[in-house]
Amino acid sequence: MSTSGPDPILLEQVSKNFGSFLALDRVSLSLSKGRFALLAGSNGAGKSTLLRLLAGLCKPSSGRVLIQGADPGRTPTVRATIGLLSHQTLLYDDLSARENLLFATRLYDLPERADRVSQALLHAGLEDRQHHRVRTFSRGMKQRLALARATLHQPSILLFDEPYTGLDQRASDTLSRQLSDLAAQGCTSLLVTHKMDTAAQLIDHLFILKRGCICHDEPWAPGRAAELHAVYERHLEENL
Amino acid sequence: MSFTARTLAILHKDILTEWRTKERLSSMVFFVLLVLLVFNFSFELGGFALHEIGPGVLWSAYVFASLLGLNRTFATERANNCLDALLLAPGDRGAVYLGKMLGNMLFLLVIELLSLPFFALFFNLPVGDYLLPLLGILFLGAASLASVGTLFAIMAGNAHLRELLLPLLLLPMAMPALISCVEATAEVFKRSRIEMLFPHLQILGVYVVIFTTLSLLLFEYVVEE
Repeated sequence: MSTSGPDPILLEQVSKNFGSFLALDRVSLSLSKGRFALLAGSNGAGKSTLLRLLAGLCKPSSGRVLIQGADPGRTPTVRATIGLLSHQTLLYDDLSARENLLFATRLYDLPERADRVSQALLHAGLEDRQHHRVRTFSRGMKQRLALARATLHQPSILLFDEPYTGLDQRASDTLSRQLSDLAAQGCTSLLVTHKMDTAAQLIDHLFILKRGCICHDEPWAPGRAAELHAVYERHLEENL
Repeated sequence: MSFTARTLAILHKDILTEWRTKERLSSMVFFVLLVLLVFNFSFELGGFALHEIGPGVLWSAYVFASLLGLNRTFATERANNCLDALLLAPGDRGAVYLGKMLGNMLFLLVIELLSLPFFALFFNLPVGDYLLPLLGILFLGAASLASVGTLFAIMAGNAHLRELLLPLLLLPMAMPALISCVEATAEVFKRSRIEMLFPHLQILGVYVVIFTTLSLLLFEYVVEE
């Protein structure tokens, strides 16, 4: 693991208000290069808001969000290092799989577009459906295509917001294998999910967010699913 | 990253999507034709009345049709949170606004051109006599409505009552452009000299430049909140 340069993900005393509602309260966290972290928390804890801040899709009310040492909202080039996969596919239903990926290559100004898209479709196992509209795809196929779109520009930071939502066991396993492969390539990843058993196999760091505050932040040895459940439940029950 | 390339990519994607679905164009064209038909039976337009009422009829139909289209501007982006993908891409986010604005302008121009023969037919207008100056007014009118309407469409897009909010925001702001469009069209129908059109066209040109520039500057702040 590299120790040079700034941490890929760094939040310093970040708060986010929506009107009078405080979604995040002075959150500080950092994630070094190549780590795969789980951001756990109950519904409404502020997980998705935190991911949106990291992606530069909204700005903090106070504090600093730094991706590779720069503000993703103000530094457009930094956003090229981020890949986002969420429970929403970020795909156009009335475009074909190939057209969706080609559009992404044009947005990111990528070279060798046709070859890159063909490779991505092959890797996602969708080459035989590449000219079909996305609205005809199953949920699993859509999510494979969404991952292909999110990683087309070879980002070094990956943000996953409930990527397993709506997937059956087989599709979940496929997605987990793909996420594991990406982590092995050195991507820094932050995963938001309620699927603790699945996450336990992937992660090496654990954050727990509760009512907008980080209440747990420690490295995690992969595979201890039961312990992960126990730690999470303990934090949920505290101060109920 | 090329601003122009990203703008054109978004425009191309919008045209392709609309070509497939025809969601916006179909509703807009039917609305315009319905309005023209109703006014035709109500006023028995022709001759002198055409100069008096015709421009108002035409631009009333266009502005309300544009509201139908503008309300759908970001619908495809909202469907699967695609707007996040656009905003996450590197480069100036103004390209998203400009791509969408050009798409709106193009769709409105298509509606204007499709409905013009029907206007000529319903109101006995020898369209060939008026066509060239009218095209200039239609182009600038579409650009005016699209420039301000695209920004308001994204602002209203996150509101619960967006269909209500968009006209409330857009119509007062578009009024200077609409008045110029109506007056310029009336001059054309009255067969006035071409010099009589220039002040109105200048107002429209300045309006487009000001609101496009302002929207480009404001777009990033609007989408972040």
